[in-house]
Amino acid sequence: MLAKPNLHTHQAHAAHGEPETLWDHPQDCLELDSKLSELSRVVPWIETVADRYSFSADSRFAIQLCMEEALANVVMHGYRNEPGHPIVLKTSVAGGSLFFRIDDKAPPFVPADTALRNDTAGPASLETIQPGGNGIHLLHRFAESLAYDILPDGNRLTIGFALPVAAPATSICSENQASTRESEIDES
Amino acid sequence: MTISTESIEGGITRVLLGGRLDIQGAAAVDLRMNVLAGSSKFLLIDLSKVSFLGSMGLRSIIIPAQAVSRRGGKVALFSPVPMVEEVLKASRVDEIIPIFHDLNAAVAALC
Repeated sequence: MLAKPNLHTHQAHAAHGEPETLWDHPQDCLELDSKLSELSRVVPWIETVADRYSFSADSRFAIQLCMEEALANVVMHGYRNEPGHPIVLKTSVAGGSLFFRIDDKAPPFVPADTALRNDTAGPASLETIQPGGNGIHLLHRFAESLAYDILPDGNRLTIGFALPVAAPATSICSENQASTRESEIDES
Repeated sequence: MTISTESIEGGITRVLLGGRLDIQGAAAVDLRMNVLAGSSKFLLIDLSKVSFLGSMGLRSIIIPAQAVSRRGGKVALFSPVPMVEEVLKASRVDEIIPIFHDLNAAVAALC
């Protein structure tokens, strides 16, 4: 069974003092246009990242699932299916976890009220169940951690997954940066 | 994403899906699934060859299942791989569309 993730919401991420260069590594960055068809580019990119850290098939499934749900949410709800807007993906490693950061410039949303709510309501019947609306629930279920930041001009969702025990120790973060990130994720 | 069908005992239409039932996969099978839902009373959706299932893929299962149910029919899911079954359980779809790993049991439940 996968652990229920932590969800943290921050205002103005830069206030944490995290240097922007923390995530700036060309091979760990992917820029998308706000179209669902762009998600096909994400699958091989994730596989490349997962290869580097020797993620298991089940963990890769969880990563692919969370990224598809999060990105579909940005395109369909954040940008309301309007193409021509940026979505920037970056990865980093800190505190034994691999983090995927998703930045967009869509209008901000409040997780407690809307999209990042972990709905635990009882099951509906086949007649009444809504065919949609499972994405955010799956995101909560399959991610190890979730952190949401309201940026001055958009949103940032950071999704974490525990690294395999034997994963390479290489990290694009310095030790100091890694410690900062870990404490940020753990605080609640 | 692949989709094919076969008729099995009891007037059941077995729908064999294969590949990734992600956003692109769902778009590829939605029309065929909806046509099958409009013409079949008993639908067994075989997920044994589905390697990935996301929320858009869930829609591709739920909407046809609702259509069949509205016409008095039944739908069941067959033999999902463990992580696909995990998605079905996490979204609680398994509580409204039964999952079987034994074909005889699935046929008995549908007929």
